[in-house]
Amino acid sequence: MIEPAERLSIRLTINGRVVEREVSARRSLADFLREDLGLTGTHVGCEHGVCGACTVFVDGKSARSCLLFAVQLDGATVTTIEGLTPPEGLSPLQQAFCAAHAMQCGFCTPGMVVAATELLEKNPSPSTEEIREALGGQLCMCTGYVNIVRAVTEAAAARRGHAGVAE
Amino acid sequence: MKPAPFRYARPRSLADAVGLLASAGDEVKILAGGQSLVPMLNLRLARPSVLIDLNGVPGLDQITPGSDGGLAIGALARHAALASSASVMERAPLLAEAARHVGHPAIRHRGTLGGSLAHADPAAELPAALVALGAELVLRSRRGARAIQASEFFLGLMTTALVPGEILLEIRVARQAQGWGFAEVARRAGDFALAGVVALVDRAAGSSRRCEFARLVGFGVGDRPVRFTAAEEILTSGDPSAALSRAAAAAAEACDPPDDVHASAEYRRHLVAVLTEQAVSQALERLDGARPA
Amino acid sequence: MSEPAGAGHWVGAALPLKEDVRLVAGRGRFIDDLGRHGQLHAAFLRSPHAHARIVSVDTRAAAALPGVAAVLTGAEAARLSGPIRPLIPTTAAVSDYCLAVDRARYVGEPVAAVAAADRATAEDALEMIRVEYDPLPAVVDPEEALKPGATLLYPELGTNVVWHDTLTYGDVDGAMARADGLLRERFTIQRYASTPLETFGLIAAHDAGTDSFEFWTNDQRPGLTISILAASLGVPQSRIRLSCPDIGGGFGNKRRPAYLLICALLSRKAGRPVKWIEDRIENLTALMHACNGVIDVELGYRADGTLLALSVRDVTDEGKNLVTPSQHNLIKLGNIANGYRIPAIRYEAWSVLTTKCPSGANRGIGKPFMCFAIERSMALLARRLDLDPAELRLRNYVTADEMPYTTPPGAQYDSGDYPATLRRALGSFDYPGWRAEQARARREGRLLGIGIATSVEPAGTNLASYELLTGRRSVSGSAEAAMVRMEPDGQVRASIGDPSSGQGYETVIAQIVADELGLAPDAVAVARGFDSATTPWLYLSGNYSNKFSVTDVGAIVGAARRVADKLRRLAAHRLEIDPGDLELRDGAAVVRGSPDRRLTYPELARTAYADVLGLPPGEEPGLEARFAYQNPLAAPVDAQRRVRSQLVFSNAAHCCLVEVNPRTGVVKLLKYLVAHDCGREMNPLIVEGMVHGSTVHGIGAALLEEFRYDAQGQLLTSTFLDYLKPTATDVPAIEVERLEHPSPFTPLGAKGVGEGGAIPGPAAVANAVEDALTPFGVTIRSLPITPERVWRWMTPGAA
Repeated sequence: MIEPAERLSIRLTINGRVVEREVSARRSLADFLREDLGLTGTHVGCEHGVCGACTVFVDGKSARSCLLFAVQLDGATVTTIEGLTPPEGLSPLQQAFCAAHAMQCGFCTPGMVVAATELLEKNPSPSTEEIREALGGQLCMCTGYVNIVRAVTEAAAARRGHAGVAE
Repeated sequence: MKPAPFRYARPRSLADAVGLLASAGDEVKILAGGQSLVPMLNLRLARPSVLIDLNGVPGLDQITPGSDGGLAIGALARHAALASSASVMERAPLLAEAARHVGHPAIRHRGTLGGSLAHADPAAELPAALVALGAELVLRSRRGARAIQASEFFLGLMTTALVPGEILLEIRVARQAQGWGFAEVARRAGDFALAGVVALVDRAAGSSRRCEFARLVGFGVGDRPVRFTAAEEILTSGDPSAALSRAAAAAAEACDPPDDVHASAEYRRHLVAVLTEQAVSQALERLDGARPA
Repeated sequence: MSEPAGAGHWVGAALPLKEDVRLVAGRGRFIDDLGRHGQLHAAFLRSPHAHARIVSVDTRAAAALPGVAAVLTGAEAARLSGPIRPLIPTTAAVSDYCLAVDRARYVGEPVAAVAAADRATAEDALEMIRVEYDPLPAVVDPEEALKPGATLLYPELGTNVVWHDTLTYGDVDGAMARADGLLRERFTIQRYASTPLETFGLIAAHDAGTDSFEFWTNDQRPGLTISILAASLGVPQSRIRLSCPDIGGGFGNKRRPAYLLICALLSRKAGRPVKWIEDRIENLTALMHACNGVIDVELGYRADGTLLALSVRDVTDEGKNLVTPSQHNLIKLGNIANGYRIPAIRYEAWSVLTTKCPSGANRGIGKPFMCFAIERSMALLARRLDLDPAELRLRNYVTADEMPYTTPPGAQYDSGDYPATLRRALGSFDYPGWRAEQARARREGRLLGIGIATSVEPAGTNLASYELLTGRRSVSGSAEAAMVRMEPDGQVRASIGDPSSGQGYETVIAQIVADELGLAPDAVAVARGFDSATTPWLYLSGNYSNKFSVTDVGAIVGAARRVADKLRRLAAHRLEIDPGDLELRDGAAVVRGSPDRRLTYPELARTAYADVLGLPPGEEPGLEARFAYQNPLAAPVDAQRRVRSQLVFSNAAHCCLVEVNPRTGVVKLLKYLVAHDCGREMNPLIVEGMVHGSTVHGIGAALLEEFRYDAQGQLLTSTFLDYLKPTATDVPAIEVERLEHPSPFTPLGAKGVGEGGAIPGPAAVANAVEDALTPFGVTIRSLPITPERVWRWMTPGAA
């Protein structure tokens, strides 16, 4: 039987790369990403799961990295904003965010991009209401959400346009 | 806000999990979804010495339709899975609806049914839904398994019938009544409800009675889910739609809601009356086929 | 306003923002993304009592915990540092240090601090510090706090009232006596804050070799902060370096020299850099709240609704704020007329200390409450006189042809057409259409409500207004410094002493410089953030009071024009013509009328930097200029105690539509439109974003946000579960209509836009809900408007 431990070794895939580390049991995934791996794109805004700034993909689904301990992620696959950004330039969704000025201070933006990415994968033609609901767990203190909704709407339309789907 | 130190274990089997639970001493917590527990750890409101992570035990998250028309749901089933499962939507749509109201997508991807039940926040939707559904909960410890009715499981504010060494393993619900309703008032979408009511109504095939079965349970209006038996009797003893406001008044009278930063007891009591009418109306419409199942 | 030095067309363009490119990729560099080699992490032990004597502090066990490098108590802080100087001169002379010394005066006040290997260990150590408290009565209600016999936060002051004064402009009593009617109302407002998503944070590093300090922080007022730090640490300012990285929202909240001091002292003790990142509980509990308070309005009017006199009695709850007390009062006084012609005005105000979180310059600095009181009063007056609320306002606005118009307290409205703004809002909103719809809905039992609120929004600041508090002038005006430098490759670098916190300075400054120098904005790199070693800055530098368009722009334009002039001089010298014959465009100095006679910037830069013998006689090498600017509108307080506390005025009209659930009291915002005039829009994308975001702040204050304290001074809403911020599902799209009446008094005609909708938003929503509840005859006098309060208003006997 395993013994509970204060430090454990974990091996997980982050943005496509395998990472092996020894970590303290109480190290959050958010702090692990930011401090141990230097992936500072994921931000910490509340540490109680409400603001959404820390949202990343875990095994393909959005999750609050402030509410996960790194030790839980042994064998898991994690994608952060860094993994959603192409090596050159920006993704179409990110370009849509820029075109619509869907950010001001930028602190909520990585989590917002994760949530929007997930929405568009599930629902390629979201209504305004569906967009607001999908992003309802991502707080933004700067934009009032208007341009963010615009950006996601336009990104969805552009995606459909590229896919040749008549609207 | 960083947690107090703890030791962590991720058992690979149920036997290991219950064994660890038994040997870990008093200050042990189970980690399922973590969406309620980890904030408490971060705030140092909970300070277990040992955290046992159940996410590594295979098979605890299954949603299994039974040949009796019901469902066996593993305690680690995620809210998102419940909300989108075809079997749940078919056999216990009230449960799917309740799961949809929990937080936001990222929370629902990790939060679990068992975790919500064990945490027993009186303002949570799922405990009330399971009490209404007459669910049976299977608990497991090193001594073996036992079953308990959902209505017996919630003992008080954030207090359940789980004894030290026990894990909530499975939730069994029978196929639910055809008429169901769900109504809540929350400050913002996804927040804990200020008050909420779930309703189930049914009648026997070919019966002339409008409603022979009723279950009404409130959440956010007591220290645990509150079943409104007097209101149920009113609904089953005549024409339920004529008796709506009486039933609503009975439900409001039957609860002793909390006073807190978000709402007073008086307002919550008022909401119970309003939401009872709404939930029962929805349920009757569904019973009559006038609303999507 | 003068024409740009170069052939420019970039100012006014909706240019996508340069900084957005890195932010959307998660490549921003915020304070928690930075680190110094060997750094420790700090945590602060905070008082659990609202008011208590600190009897003893025992840190021995904490200091012995493995991983702990240094511990600091208040007593030590008082020995190792000097008291923190207030930003605003007050008559209250007390010594406050970076940690509580003999008394804690609000829940969350830092009492001791630990620096350890990581934050978790530091927090473990905090739990081992033993503090003996002797609790004292909490002081929670400002009206109780100002009474004789109230428990005092500072017994040596003899009072909790930091300031009390009455300022009278015109014959208020006479006008009230002659009025056809008087409207008297009392309004209260709750504590709330803009709560930027990134919390406050810093790294402090003491260098023993030079006895100097380096700081990295998201502080919005670096100029001021450096001064305070130097004074408290007992080192000359020249031995302090302070840098700001990307800032994740400020809204006035990020300003707490005490925190930097604590970590500076820890760093000196430990001999290593110390990093501290505020967590959300600390942020909500202890960083900064906008003042709550009580305003009594008395409005004298003629029967036709013409306003004759306004008398305001304002009790402002500052919490434990000895750094910027009375700031809310002065700013409220400056905005009191809210765009209306009111010949006689009296303002009696108290600035009161209570045992709560310190107040501060949260977005709007008191103007939201002042506007709430005035706009609510206008709504009530319209009701009383049976006048359409729009009509009542139209009768009282200062009009465009009266501008510049000076209000009785001395504020000068520089430009704007307030009636046109309101008419545009009502027209675009389809006010008559929604009134008709409201009537239809009422017949069906649905409660729709339409709310109007208008406001002026000042920009820039003039600290000379502080003379109203003490009778002496020590700080005054406002100023900013900027630097523009053309590099040897002909591209440009610019920087300014005001660190952006989401306002797009890197882009709009590039646009301004591009116009002055005849370049594309891509050729202008604007430095991120702030670095006191390299950024031009002044004591008055920083991000506050909407000053960018009024002050910062002057500094940028000034610096850019110096470079432009030099480019012309260098080209004129080489081409042997008069500098006036040259245009700056497309990256070159071009002879007017002979486009092929030109010298490119790289060529000119070569002369300036490399081939310096080619410089005109007496000309310095290089192509760099600094410029510090103050807007000439700032002037001292005059003999009648009038002053321009802020300098130029934007204006806006808000219209919103709500539906109230008659059974639950839940309010839903269905439509929200803002007609807005901030003068010349330098970048419409930035402007519109500011209007959206600031309006949602106003909506949050109206419907959701409240820092609630119990009678013992305990904060009941200290997490985001209880302190409710608006989400995407809580607010509709904010529609924006724009008008443009440039200011004659700013360098480019632009005015402020950063506070925007935060000012009239609360009033607009309150007016809408009250309108929806017309069948119930409700008067809304306080915020936030929660479902329960709405239900009580609708339910006889439930109040």
